[in-house]
Amino acid sequence: MKKKNLVKRIATLGLTLSLSAGLLAGCGNSTGAADKSSDATASNAGFRTLDEIKESGEINIGVFSDKAPFGYVDENGEYQGYDVYFGNKLGEDLGVKVNYVSTEAASRVEYLQTGKVDLILANFTVTDERAEQVDFALPYMNVALGVVSHEDNVITSLDQIGEDDQVIVISGTTAETYLTENKPEIKLQKFDTYAAAKSAFENGTGVAWANDNTEVIAFAKENPGYTVGIEELGEKDTIAPAVTKGNDTLKNWINEEIETLGQDKFFHKDYEATLTDTYGADYEDTLVVEGGKTE
Amino acid sequence: MQEYLPLFTKAMWLTLRIGWMGILLSIVIGLVTALIRHFNVPVLKQITGIYIELFRNTPLLVQLFFMYYGLPRLGVSISAEACGVLGLALLGGAYMAEVFRSGLESIEPIQSESALSLGMNHAQVMRHIILPQAVSTSVPAFIANIIFLLKETSVFSAISLMDLMFTAKDLIGLYYKTIESLTLLVIFYLIILLPVSIIGSIIERRMRYAGFGA
Repeated sequence: MKKKNLVKRIATLGLTLSLSAGLLAGCGNSTGAADKSSDATASNAGFRTLDEIKESGEINIGVFSDKAPFGYVDENGEYQGYDVYFGNKLGEDLGVKVNYVSTEAASRVEYLQTGKVDLILANFTVTDERAEQVDFALPYMNVALGVVSHEDNVITSLDQIGEDDQVIVISGTTAETYLTENKPEIKLQKFDTYAAAKSAFENGTGVAWANDNTEVIAFAKENPGYTVGIEELGEKDTIAPAVTKGNDTLKNWINEEIETLGQDKFFHKDYEATLTDTYGADYEDTLVVEGGKTE
Repeated sequence: MQEYLPLFTKAMWLTLRIGWMGILLSIVIGLVTALIRHFNVPVLKQITGIYIELFRNTPLLVQLFFMYYGLPRLGVSISAEACGVLGLALLGGAYMAEVFRSGLESIEPIQSESALSLGMNHAQVMRHIILPQAVSTSVPAFIANIIFLLKETSVFSAISLMDLMFTAKDLIGLYYKTIESLTLLVIFYLIILLPVSIIGSIIERRMRYAGFGA
C-alpha cells in the first residue's frame, strides 16, 4: 500500500513535469512565430456593444481608487476625480448607471480583455504596445513622465542615480516601461498600488519616485519635503479612454461624445472642478485636451 | 519566453531564500514557544499565549503591511526582505508552536510517570520517552505547515518583493503575455513545492513509529 503510494507520486511528478515541458514548448513556439496575431485574437474573451450596455442599464468603468486627484475614493466612499467626473458625464449622456470598478495599473489591459469592465478611465496613457492590446478613443489629457525626490537630495537628471540607489515605480505604468527599456541599469523598487508606493516613499524607501508627472507634481504639492526635480522625461503622451479591442460601437460613441463635449469646454470644467485644488490654474492649458485634439 | 525565464528563476530563488529562512526561524520560535507552554513557565506562558493567538488570527498580508508600512512611522525601519523573513517566521512560529505542543501533549502522563518510577531522571524521560514520540506525531502537521508557509510567500508582492507572484503580475503589465506568465507561475510553484511534498511524505512514512501497537 505504502510502496504503491510512492510509485503513484513519482508517476504524478513525471506526468506534471512532462506536461509542463509541453506547455513551455508550446509557449515558445507562439512567441517565435505568430506572436502578435495570436495574442490579440486569443485574449479577447468578449465585450458588450453599445446597445447591449444601454439595454442592461449599467456600464462598468475601471478607474483608480487610490490616484488622487484623478481617480480616488473620498471620505464618503464615493468615487471622485478628473477621470470619474468624465465617467459620470458618459453615464449621464448614455442614460445608464455607472458601476465603478477599482483597478490596479498592471491589470487595466486584463480587465478589458476579460470583459470585467466595458471601459477603462484609469488615467490610461496611450502607447503603441498598449494599442495592440486594447482600442483607445480620443485623448482627454496630456501627460509626460516626472520624477520626484527628497528635498535634500533632488534628482534633476537620471544620471544622478547611483548604482545602489533605488527608484520607486508602480508595476504596469509607463514609467516602469520607460525605465526598463531606456535605463535598465537603474534599480527599480516596484509596488502594485499607488497607496503602497506613496507610503513606502514617505517612509524613506528609494531616492526618487518616477511616475506620470501629474502624479508626482500632486505628491510634491501635498507633501512638504519633496521636489519634482524632473518635470518631463521621455516623450509627451496623452491619456485616453480604452475599450476592448474591436468594440467599435462603444469607441465611436465615446469619440463623438468627446468631440461634442469639446464645444462646451467640458474638460476645462472638469479640470476646474477636480484639479484646481491640487494644481491651481497653472497647468490647465498644458493638461487639458479638449475635443480630442492635441496641438 | 526566453526573456522571462531568468526573471522567474531569480524570483524563485528569492521565494526560496526568504521562504526557507522564515521557515527555519519559525521552527526555532515554535520549539521555544511550545516548550515554554508545555512546562508552564510563568509569565512567559501568558506572553506566548498572546503571541500565538495574535499571529494565528491575523492574515500574513496584514502583518507584512504593519511591519513594512506601519513600523517606519514609529521609527523602526526594516527592509522588505527582512520583513518577509520576519513575517513568515512569526506567523509560522505560531503555527509550529501548536504543532509541537500537540505532539508533546499526545503522550499520556502515565508514560513519563512509569519512566520516572523506573529510575529515569526528567531529562532522560524527555530524551528517550517523550521527544521521540512527540516528533513522530508532529511530522504530518509539521510538513503541512512548511508547504503552507511556502505558499504564503505569494503575498510578498504587497511589500514590493519581486517574488514569483509579483514577477508574473509585473510581466503581464509590461508585455501583456498573460497565459505565458501564468503558466510559468504555476510551473515554478510546482517546482518549489512538489519536492517538499514528496520528500515530506517519505519522511512521514519513516517516522510513523510512535503510539501503542505501532
